[in-house]
Amino acid sequence: MSALDAGGMVQISDAAVSVELVGEDMMLNIGPQHPSTHGVLRLVAQVDGERITRLEPVIGYMHRGKEKLAEVRTYPQITTLINRIDWISGFANEVPFVVAVERLMGIEVPERAQYIRLILTELTRISNHLVFASSYPLELGAATPLMYAFRERERVLDLIESVTGGRFHPNFNRVGGVKPAAGGGSTQKNVVLDLPAGFFEATLRTMDKVLEVCDEIDNLVVGNELIQARTIGVGVLPPEIVLAYGVSGPNMRASGIDFDLRKHEHLLPYDDFDFDVVVRSNGDCFDRYVTRIEEIRQSVSIVRQAIGKIPSGPLRAKVPRVLKVPPGEIYVRAENPKGEMGYYVVSQGGRVPYRVKIRSASFSNISVLPWVSQGQLIPDLVATMGSFDFVLGDVDR
Amino acid sequence: MGVIEKFGAPKPLSWLLNWSRKYSLWFFNFGLACCAIEVMAAAGPRYDFMRFGVIPLPASPRQADLMVVAGTLTDKMAPAVKRLYDQMPDPKYVISMGSCANCGGPYWDSYSVTKGVDQVIPVDVYVPGCPPRPEALMEGILLLQEQITHEDIRRKWSERDPQPV
Amino acid sequence: MTPSPSETATEPSALAARLAGLVGASGFSAEHGTVKIQVERAGWVEAIRTARDEAGLAFFSWLSAVDWSRQVAVGDPPADPDTIEERYDVVCRLSSVASADGALFVASLPKDDPRIDSLVPVFDGAAWHEREAAEMFGIDFTGHPHLVKLYLPEGFEGHPLRKSFALLSREVKPWPGTVDVEAMPSAENREAGEGGEEA
Repeated sequence: MSALDAGGMVQISDAAVSVELVGEDMMLNIGPQHPSTHGVLRLVAQVDGERITRLEPVIGYMHRGKEKLAEVRTYPQITTLINRIDWISGFANEVPFVVAVERLMGIEVPERAQYIRLILTELTRISNHLVFASSYPLELGAATPLMYAFRERERVLDLIESVTGGRFHPNFNRVGGVKPAAGGGSTQKNVVLDLPAGFFEATLRTMDKVLEVCDEIDNLVVGNELIQARTIGVGVLPPEIVLAYGVSGPNMRASGIDFDLRKHEHLLPYDDFDFDVVVRSNGDCFDRYVTRIEEIRQSVSIVRQAIGKIPSGPLRAKVPRVLKVPPGEIYVRAENPKGEMGYYVVSQGGRVPYRVKIRSASFSNISVLPWVSQGQLIPDLVATMGSFDFVLGDVDR
Repeated sequence: MGVIEKFGAPKPLSWLLNWSRKYSLWFFNFGLACCAIEVMAAAGPRYDFMRFGVIPLPASPRQADLMVVAGTLTDKMAPAVKRLYDQMPDPKYVISMGSCANCGGPYWDSYSVTKGVDQVIPVDVYVPGCPPRPEALMEGILLLQEQITHEDIRRKWSERDPQPV
Repeated sequence: MTPSPSETATEPSALAARLAGLVGASGFSAEHGTVKIQVERAGWVEAIRTARDEAGLAFFSWLSAVDWSRQVAVGDPPADPDTIEERYDVVCRLSSVASADGALFVASLPKDDPRIDSLVPVFDGAAWHEREAAEMFGIDFTGHPHLVKLYLPEGFEGHPLRKSFALLSREVKPWPGTVDVEAMPSAENREAGEGGEEA
């Protein structure tokens, strides 16, 4: 006001400016037991109000020492260990390891076995992405998609169980092919050793249902304004960070990098089929979610083509009873539903490997959490973490 | 409650308390590993266990009655399990689900796995399997409910630990 | 549409030779399709940086180590121990996202001096992998910003993945699946002998 002299007004504004708010960051411990951490992951966050200034994940609460245990298990016994690494997609974990052993021994896998492996891998990819599609909205607060997706996932698990006997730890791969009889075992050598009757028809019916539930999820989740507001623009991963940290799988493809190991590695006959690699450009949570829904649709298309083209033949090549792998080293990687999964197998002769290094996708995927959570709000951290789709078995091995 | 501790509860009261407790178990899912996925499937539409009165996901362990340890317990996680168990109020029950929680399971020779959750906390029901099917988990829950039906309330209250956590 | 793999991937032995020339390697091999480039410990960071910048291997896949020992505390001993030179091999896998090219870079460390430079200045993602290798093998990565335990609890003694680390449970009780400790109830009903070894 003009009645006050200029000196007086300057003094008041000086006083207002010179009062400083001193605050301290709070240390917030999230986990290891927490409904939204996908297992036993502990995050120690330094927060300023709701904003995270520094995040340090503490892992190792599910470390079971598989690399050491692999040095005392024979090659066929190791499949029981490794299909529990990424415990949602059990079958897909076994394939690269078995292929690594087969390449070291120089064994040729029959074509029918390769097609069966491919069909089961794609079914586990569908199952894994359905779990993600349902548990991610649960973290954002939507409980209904869980029920829809699990209903269809039960049908897919029924298919896998009818062939392998197990819902998600199938232990169905054998060095040289797949297990010759579904449930037959050595007491039924005279029975025709092949897939159960009616498997292909049941699979085609289930694939129709899976496509229907993808459309339902599109309606419920992807088109939902609330979900969009919480995920678009949140947790953006630029491509340079993806490469520096080794983030792979749908997370990488959502950031614009067009790279799918199914097109580049020749473990399974993906070259015989026509499918698109789903790539999106923004790299935020929404893109990671939509990438996986689209991948379910692509997997359904692959399964349908594979059923149409599957050749007949034996299910397993002839291998010696007691497996001894000649000395050598090999690294084989495959497109696990969560990303790049690889096994570096070092053999020095013998019935057990000398060293098995397991490259698991989620370990690299969440090593980027400290970088991506800088400056995020805590609910955004929950949304970002969920969108990476990791399981602790994959992180901790 | 000195009356009950001295004379025991009359049968109708005992029955009523046991009945209300067994059909309202609030289930603290300590899902650690693969068995947690089977717990999720058991909560799903096909193997729905909510029809037995068992509801999942309390807001915190201090509001839970039943703890299902589903998955491998590592030495790093064991103190956390003990602490969470202590945070649960009485009466509380523990189901150990899967072979890793029962006895170490396929990782019996690992350097970082606790060979069974009963080394850390007392267990009421063991559900074997790797992973146990959702039906097996439901059988475990029904077995626990049967155990609760025959519980003696005087014994239950006299063996509780009076130290708060 | 991604071009087909045969158009973009380099044949392994050609790739191995080219990379070895670029980074100044002391050896290379391409057995079983796995390209392995042996690098000297002193030039480790430079070799990885060159591979990233000039060979297009910009995707950091993993980093770990192998303990080459003649005596092992667990598992089968190596078939020909005298051919093994005792050392730690630090192995780093880099790959490309434009094609299926990828290579393993290996640096050997003597057992009495397991130190090597950290790759964190070149790849941020190497931080966690190096922490794991450090606690599992006891390798010291000089220049690592935060070399603390990753997986193992505080107070854990020893380096588990070293060949000299024994698994105590197996010392106490041998693997029960190898021998039938008790006879089956009726021997004629079961297949002769190989229940446990059936692959």
